[in-house]
Amino acid sequence: MSPKPALGAGHEVTIVRVFKAPIDLVFDCFTDPAHVAKWWGPTDCVNEVYAWEARPGGAISLRMAGPGFDHVMGGEFVSVDRPRRLVFLSKAFEAPGGGWGIVNRNTLTFETVEDGTRMTSHILVERAEGALVLGALGGLEMGWNLSLMRLEDLVGELTA
Amino acid sequence: MQTHDPLSAAFSALADPTRRAILARLAQGEASVGELARPFAMSGPAVTKHLKVLENAGLISRRRAAQQRPAKLEPAALKAVTLWLETYRQLWEDGLGRLDTYLADLQRKDG
Repeated sequence: MSPKPALGAGHEVTIVRVFKAPIDLVFDCFTDPAHVAKWWGPTDCVNEVYAWEARPGGAISLRMAGPGFDHVMGGEFVSVDRPRRLVFLSKAFEAPGGGWGIVNRNTLTFETVEDGTRMTSHILVERAEGALVLGALGGLEMGWNLSLMRLEDLVGELTA
Repeated sequence: MQTHDPLSAAFSALADPTRRAILARLAQGEASVGELARPFAMSGPAVTKHLKVLENAGLISRRRAAQQRPAKLEPAALKAVTLWLETYRQLWEDGLGRLDTYLADLQRKDG
């Protein structure tokens, strides 16, 4: 694998997707806790939404459970500009003494296109504490294709 | 703060655009401090500061030879970061697939 694409990615992921639905409905699916509870997370994930306050500074707290995983995602909304833009922080793997192992900044932009709504999601990894996360992940299978053993090996190589 | 946390150190190192540009240059081959400083019109010490962060994160290594201490990329480290990001991509793609189905169901009910 050439290092160049990896450098381009750096610490962020961008995904573009077109949904066959009107922009307001798509936006609602990200801001209305009743909707979020029904689709958030990977295949077979069941959600319990404790907080999903779509306003600047609003709290995010939801429990995601499925085959082999059960954890709480925290976070907060940064900005909500209906129906075009949404920014929120998502936080996972809370440390025993407080603080979060992973903090991502998610910027979602929406635009009306011929087939429906195009959404661009830009995920910026602001923090990822490797040791903490690997410990918490243990035997998790969240539908990831990634082999955790491989990641552990590679992280091991970093410290070697 | 996170000296023993390689993944976190790598993400911190990558968060700076100048450091990302330095890594992009090193992807083409080893380079000395002078060679790296030139495109940025940056001083040697300023570049060295960035190189130290990258080295601590395991993203580059620097030869002891000569004064310029040439730097080279450590691909294994970037691979770890890339793999990590790929899990995110997978998770999001998976979730957005669920949203797709959900939106179709919602509209079917209304229609």
